[in-house]
Amino acid sequence: MRKVFAFMLVALVALTGLYANGGSESTSADSDTYKIGFIGPLTGDNANYGIRCSNATNLAVSEINAAGGIDGKMLEVISENSLGTVDGAIAAYEKLVYSDGVVGIIGPVFTSPALAVAQRCYEDGIVMISPSATHKDVTSLGDYVYRTVPSDALQSEVAAHYMYEVLGYRNIACLYAMNDYSQGLATGVEEVFTELGGTVSAMETCMVGDKDFRTQLGAIRNTDAEAIYIPNYTVEDALILEQAAQLGMNLPFFSSDGFSDPEIYNLAPDYTDGVMYVGPAQAEASTVLADFTAAYSAAYDGDMPDSFATNAYDATYILAQAIDRADSGDREAINEQVKATSDFSGANGIINFADNGDMIASQGVYDVDGTTPVYVGSFQIVDGSIIQVD
Amino acid sequence: MLNFFQLIIIYAGIYALMAIGQNCITGNTGMLSLCHAGFFCIGSYATAIMCKTFGLPFWFSLPVAAIAAGIIGFLIGVPTLRLKGDYLCIATLGLGEIIRNIATNVNPVGMMGIPRAELFGYQFSSRNKLTFILLVWVFVAVAYVLFRQLAHSRIGRAMTAVREDEVAAQSNGINVTKYKIGAFTLGAAVGGTAGCFATAYTLTVQPGSYTFMVSVMVLCMVVLGGMGNLKGVILGAFIIEFIQYFPQLVGLSSVIPAQASQVLYGLVLVIMMICRPQGILGRDKYRYGEKKQSLASRLASRRGGKEA
Amino acid sequence: MDTLIQYLQYLVNGLTLGAIYSLIALGYTMVYGILKFINFAHGDILMVGAYTGLLTYTALLGESTNGAWMLCAFFIAMLVSMAFCAVLGMFIERVAYKPLRSASRLAPLLSAIGVSFILSNGAAWIFGAQSRRFPYPFDDSPIMIGGISITPHQILTLCVSLVMMVVLTLFVNRTRMGKAMRATSLDQPTSELMGIDVNKIISMTFAIGSALAAVGGILASFDFRVYASMGTMTGLKAFVAAVIGGIGNIQGAMIGGVLLGILESIGAPLLGIPSALKDTIAFAALIIILLVKPDGILGKNEREKV
Repeated sequence: MRKVFAFMLVALVALTGLYANGGSESTSADSDTYKIGFIGPLTGDNANYGIRCSNATNLAVSEINAAGGIDGKMLEVISENSLGTVDGAIAAYEKLVYSDGVVGIIGPVFTSPALAVAQRCYEDGIVMISPSATHKDVTSLGDYVYRTVPSDALQSEVAAHYMYEVLGYRNIACLYAMNDYSQGLATGVEEVFTELGGTVSAMETCMVGDKDFRTQLGAIRNTDAEAIYIPNYTVEDALILEQAAQLGMNLPFFSSDGFSDPEIYNLAPDYTDGVMYVGPAQAEASTVLADFTAAYSAAYDGDMPDSFATNAYDATYILAQAIDRADSGDREAINEQVKATSDFSGANGIINFADNGDMIASQGVYDVDGTTPVYVGSFQIVDGSIIQVD
Repeated sequence: MLNFFQLIIIYAGIYALMAIGQNCITGNTGMLSLCHAGFFCIGSYATAIMCKTFGLPFWFSLPVAAIAAGIIGFLIGVPTLRLKGDYLCIATLGLGEIIRNIATNVNPVGMMGIPRAELFGYQFSSRNKLTFILLVWVFVAVAYVLFRQLAHSRIGRAMTAVREDEVAAQSNGINVTKYKIGAFTLGAAVGGTAGCFATAYTLTVQPGSYTFMVSVMVLCMVVLGGMGNLKGVILGAFIIEFIQYFPQLVGLSSVIPAQASQVLYGLVLVIMMICRPQGILGRDKYRYGEKKQSLASRLASRRGGKEA
Repeated sequence: MDTLIQYLQYLVNGLTLGAIYSLIALGYTMVYGILKFINFAHGDILMVGAYTGLLTYTALLGESTNGAWMLCAFFIAMLVSMAFCAVLGMFIERVAYKPLRSASRLAPLLSAIGVSFILSNGAAWIFGAQSRRFPYPFDDSPIMIGGISITPHQILTLCVSLVMMVVLTLFVNRTRMGKAMRATSLDQPTSELMGIDVNKIISMTFAIGSALAAVGGILASFDFRVYASMGTMTGLKAFVAAVIGGIGNIQGAMIGGVLLGILESIGAPLLGIPSALKDTIAFAALIIILLVKPDGILGKNEREKV
């Protein structure tokens, strides 16, 4: 028995040796479909972000196909599970690029897998558009890597200016998780807010997946902070709001685009009133967002999209239009066309890409009334002060 | 598809190294440890820091990764090895979590853009998997030969004695503490080497990758293959990686829901364990000199006979 | 605000957190005491318990907002969930662990991990990946006692944990079944010879342990929310608590859980380091405890090997 197994193992390795050229690339250029890949966490703790983005990508593709596809060719999405890890994301990438021959990738959803995949995309020359990886390093390699989510530098700048200039806070506290997203935003806000002349009296940290924030909130309660900045994901935000109320705190909260997930109103409906957050800007007189939200809700049993799903929806359209303009499955041509995207009008307003692939867009500010987010307006930072764009 | 199969072979090789290290600790010396993810983490970070921050070549970082993990293993080993069984297990699990927790707090993003491994000007790239397979599996083979020799040596027999009965071993003049710490250090060093190769392949390190589930899966590889059986643990590593990525290999992953493939993964684990509770290749049965049943197998058969 | 009050507040929070860990740790300890194996799927049974409780509760409640009925429905939901988990626990034991009873001590561990994968991913498959809120069956506005706030659900958690521990201790020490359990834990073959139906005892242990996990799951979901992987980290912490207290020991599990909860809550501010390092403090403290008391706080000195 064991000899058989040992032999099989050797044989398997030898077999792969025989097919040394197995790694040759194959694109789907000749066939009558364009395949695009999606990479995101479909299982595990953060699966809801991955599943929503995957759904939005699929929705966009089915809309495009229903409208006749791209010059008669259909689009096909292949969604792969990154398991939320680097290993898993690389495996998903290899499967999509080498086995399926996709022409472009939507994702990965989180920064750390995105960093690993970005490097491979850069080397292999394949377009990747992340809907939600906010860390500044993601687009640092340059070509082939884009995102339809603002880098955390942009978002935190607007948040800090808004709190200091518009809301008039001079002393705030931050409570953030030790992951790329939260930490990037919190340290960004700390930096800008201090530069403006304000004080950040507490930088409290937690781990992703923590459920008990009473210790950190207790520490904040002992400072003179006028407001708390909580750039976290939905569940953490919900628990922080509820536990703050249970500790008898009534400081105003300011949050980030993680708060745009409507799930928050199921998780902490009694505590969201008065929370403000920075989220994607909305285009004036555009029904794209409303149409998307309605279509998404209809397609997925009443589930509502968060801002990352909206970003994924836009990213898919950007990729599809680039394929259309490139008029082939040639990865190089598609990259040129994604880069050439100008004034794309999507669910999140007008999108352009900077040279490094970052999104250039205004940021929206929302004020929650009860359990309904009210759009305050979109803002930009010009010459060191905040101005309302519309 | 073949390309993806090559990827599985690479992952299996990296995990086989981890499993060989774990086997040295758990299979040979009988200590239940759950912090191989920690050693993996140390090895990965050592490589990343050596190659990226200091710009040193990969071949220099390889021994550094092994030594760094070995030193941490030694430092962890000295105080905790007084503990036994599940208490040791929980203490090591705690240490693994501490390593991850600290790594996350230092920098939650990790490092990226780590330079590739090079040999005589040839770059080991993830695009050319065959050479990478060779690189990893050469080291697996080296580790296999070394640990096989070790297991058959005087030291290996002493380790087995410690596993089977500490008191008896001690009364026979074996310095139990020395062998335990030695095994722990060695196992940790091999785990660090695995981390080094993982970094060379993915070119990124991320603190979130080193959860206790990694340690648990490595332990599973050892148990699944057959404890103390080197061929077994390598096979175990291959099988676990293979089942994990099987849906993606055959293209099922985009057809069935992602959760369903994870459920299947769990189901296969349960079924395999029920069919071969002693591990696929079974516990190692060394024959010292003549054809006599070893203490281990006698114990195993006695335990087995009780219920059956 | 007064530092003393702040620390008392941390203590109260730590106690409630610890009470949840204790409840779950009781299940770990019971199974371990008898089978000497770590039931990795225990955390996922907790998750199933939370989902069952939530579904039953919302189904029973319907549109009603009657205070008394809400409380009543909550306790019915808890009982239903306990019963369901007890059956599930027995079923898992029969299918996944019983065939491995004679194998090496680590074999069931692997099988348990498989079960854990099945349960957590199965739940994500059925219920989706979103977290859900367990609505409070009573008014949960905080009660302030001299600057320290405590909420009714925290009080409930503490009370339920305490009651469960007392009942369990009485059950194990005073009843015939409990005596049989202790005998089985001490020496399985001998108890079999003494006419104890070991299979029944083991099934019973799993049933009780899983029912406790269900209670723990429901109480935890007030603070943690209900989601498919909620059991993984909570289960791990509870397991740590069980070992610290001296695994196999019921009072030990209780002490270990409370200690862990308090350490997590108070450790970081006491040492003045970032709260994100609280796990490091908690684990480091536990390792130190183990080095001083190698068999846990209330553990018996036993020799064992892998």
